[in-house]
Amino acid sequence: MPAPGPLELALCAAAAWALLALVALAFRTRAWGRRALHAPPAGDAAAGAGARYAFTKGMLPQAKESVRTHLPSYAAGLVFHGGVFASFGLLAASLAGFEPGSALLRLGGAAAGVGALAGLGLLGKRIASPVLRGLSAPDDYVANVLTSVFAALASLAAFAPDARAASLVAGAALLLYVPVGKIRHCLLFFPARYEMGRFFGRRGTFPPASRRAA
Amino acid sequence: MTGPTPTSLESRIAALSDADLARGFEAFRSKLSAAEAAYLGACVHCGLCAESCHYFKASPELENVPARKLDHVAAAFRRHATAAGRLLPGLVGARNFDRDLVRAWVDAVFGRCSLCGRCSLNCTVGIALPRVFRAARAALASMGLVPDDLQATVDNSLVHGNNMAIARTDWVETVQWLEEELQAETGDPQARIPLDKKGAKVLFTVNPREPKFFPLSLQASAKVFWAAKEDWTLSSDPGWDLTNYGLFSCDDEKAGRITQNLVDAMERLGCETLVIGECGHGYGAARWEGPEWLRGAFPFPVRSVLELMDEYLATGRIAVDPSCNPKPVTLHDPCNLVRHGGVTEPQRRVLRRAARSFVEMSPSREESYCCGGGGGQLSMSAYKERRIASGEPKARQIRETGASVVVAPCHNCIDQLMELNKEYKLGVQIRTVAEVLADAIVPGPREEGGACPRP
Repeated sequence: MPAPGPLELALCAAAAWALLALVALAFRTRAWGRRALHAPPAGDAAAGAGARYAFTKGMLPQAKESVRTHLPSYAAGLVFHGGVFASFGLLAASLAGFEPGSALLRLGGAAAGVGALAGLGLLGKRIASPVLRGLSAPDDYVANVLTSVFAALASLAAFAPDARAASLVAGAALLLYVPVGKIRHCLLFFPARYEMGRFFGRRGTFPPASRRAA
Repeated sequence: MTGPTPTSLESRIAALSDADLARGFEAFRSKLSAAEAAYLGACVHCGLCAESCHYFKASPELENVPARKLDHVAAAFRRHATAAGRLLPGLVGARNFDRDLVRAWVDAVFGRCSLCGRCSLNCTVGIALPRVFRAARAALASMGLVPDDLQATVDNSLVHGNNMAIARTDWVETVQWLEEELQAETGDPQARIPLDKKGAKVLFTVNPREPKFFPLSLQASAKVFWAAKEDWTLSSDPGWDLTNYGLFSCDDEKAGRITQNLVDAMERLGCETLVIGECGHGYGAARWEGPEWLRGAFPFPVRSVLELMDEYLATGRIAVDPSCNPKPVTLHDPCNLVRHGGVTEPQRRVLRRAARSFVEMSPSREESYCCGGGGGQLSMSAYKERRIASGEPKARQIRETGASVVVAPCHNCIDQLMELNKEYKLGVQIRTVAEVLADAIVPGPREEGGACPRP
C-alpha cells in the first residue's frame, strides 16, 4: 500500500467526520426515547414480524403501489444507490492500492457510471417536474449533484488513473456533506422503516393477511 | 401556496404571542419519540407518495403531496431541533415556527389530511406520516387551533357523554322503541335489547348517529345478537358511545377522558368484553390508542363487532341465506379499522356468506383508498369542498365494481359515502355489515339455505 498523500488524508478525515456525525445523529435520534405501549399487540411476535416484512417483501413492487406505478423512477433509484455503493467500493480499493484495470474494478466502474447516469436522470426529473421542484430545497439539488459527480468520477477513475485525484476530492466533498442534508437518510432510513414496520406489525396490518400465505 | 385558513382560526393565529408559539412547539416536541424524530429527518423528497394520497389523486397540486405536508412540519423540526437547520436553514429548508408556518400546519394536517396512512405504506423510506401529523395536530390543539366544529364534537362527548349531545332519556327511549321493533321483526316477544345488564358477557357500544339517524342499523346489530343468543348489554349512562373525536383533535388528555367513559361502564356493569360497533375511528380509539391515553392496559379485551359476527357464522351460532341479499355487494375498508386497525378479513368472510355476490374494490384492504371522511374531516365544515373532492378516487372505485350495495363498517364513512353517492351519482345503497347480515339471518334451525325471512 502506498504512503497516503494529502488527498488521501483529506478523504480519510472527511470519512471520519461523516462517521462521527452519523453516530452522533444516531444517538440524538435515540435520545428522543421510545414510547411505552400499553395496548396489547395483534400477536406476540406481531411487531417483529411487521419490521421483517417492512424490510423484505414490503419493499417490493407488488407491495407498494407507488413503486408499481413508477417503475422507471424506482429502477433509477436502485441503480443510483447501487452506483454510489460501487463508487465507495472503488474508493476503498483505490486507497488500498489496487490499480485500475482489473475486471472487478472495471465492473465497479461500470456500475458507478450507470449509477451516475441514473442520478443525473433523477436530477433531471426533479428539475422538470413542477411538483418535485416545489418539494425541493437547495439541499435536494446539492445532494444529488455531489453524489452523481462522485459516482461519475469514481467510474472514470476505474478506467483512467488520471481521474483518481478528482474522484478523491469528490468523495471527500460528498462525505463532508453526508451529515448535513438529506443524505442522512443513509442512517435514518433504517430506524424509520423499522419503526413503521413495528407500528403496522403490532396492529396486525403487516404482513398483510392477503400475503401471509405467500 | 397553502389554502385559506378558516376565519375563526385565522383570528386566533393572528393573536398568537411568542409565548403561545413556544408552548405549541414544546407540545409538539413532547409528542415525539425516536420514531417520529427519524421520520422527520428521513424524507428524501422523491415524490413517489403523491399519488397514494386521495387528496392529490383528486387535485394534483403541490400542497396535496404527503411529502409536502410532512415538509411543513419537518421544517420547524429542522430549524429548532437540528444543527444543520440552525446553521444553514436556507440550504436544508428549515423554517421558524411562526404564524405563517402555523397557518401551513393547519392547512396541511387539518385541511388536507384524513390521517388515513395510505402514504405510509407507499413511502420509499417508510415514514409513518400520520404519526407526525398527529403530533402536529396536538401542537395546534395546545394553542387552541382545532377547528371549531371538530372541537365542539369533542366537547359534546366530555359534557354529555356522547358526541351528539343525546339526552339519556332520549337514548333509553330509542333503545326501548327499537326493542319493540326487534320483537315485531323476529316475532319473538322475548327478544331484548338489554340496558345495564350487570355481568353481561358483552358491552356493546354504538355510534350516536345510530340512535339519532340510523336506528335500523342498531336494530340490525341487535338482531344478530338475538340470533346468536349472545349475552350482551348496552349502557344507559355514558359508556355507550364508541366515538372519540379526541383521536382527531389529538388532544390526548381529552381523548383519555372520553375513553374513560368506556372503561367506567365496563367496570360499572362488570362485563367481560368491550365490543366496538361498526366504526373505524371508534375501534382505533378504544383498541389501540385508549390504553396509551390512559397509560395502562385495559383489564378487559376490546373487540370489533365484526369479529363476533364472523365467529357466530364460523361456529354455527347463526345461519344465513345469501339469497336474501341478491344484489352485488362491495366493501369499503375504513382506514382506522383496516390499515390502522388490523381488522381486515372478518367482514369479508361475513359478506361472502351473507350475500349472493361479493365484489372487492381495487385496491382493497390495507391498500384501500380513504373515502375522504376520516381524520375528523366530516366535522370540519371549512374543508367540506376538499372532502367531497377527495372522495373521487373512492367513488371511482365503487363505480368500477358494478355493485349495487356498498357496505361500510363505519358510520363516518357511511356519511361520507352517502354524500359521494349523491355528488358522483353512483346510484348505490350504503349499508353496514350488520344490516346485510341481519337480512340474511335464518331463524330457527342452525343450518344454511332456509327460506329468507323477509321478502
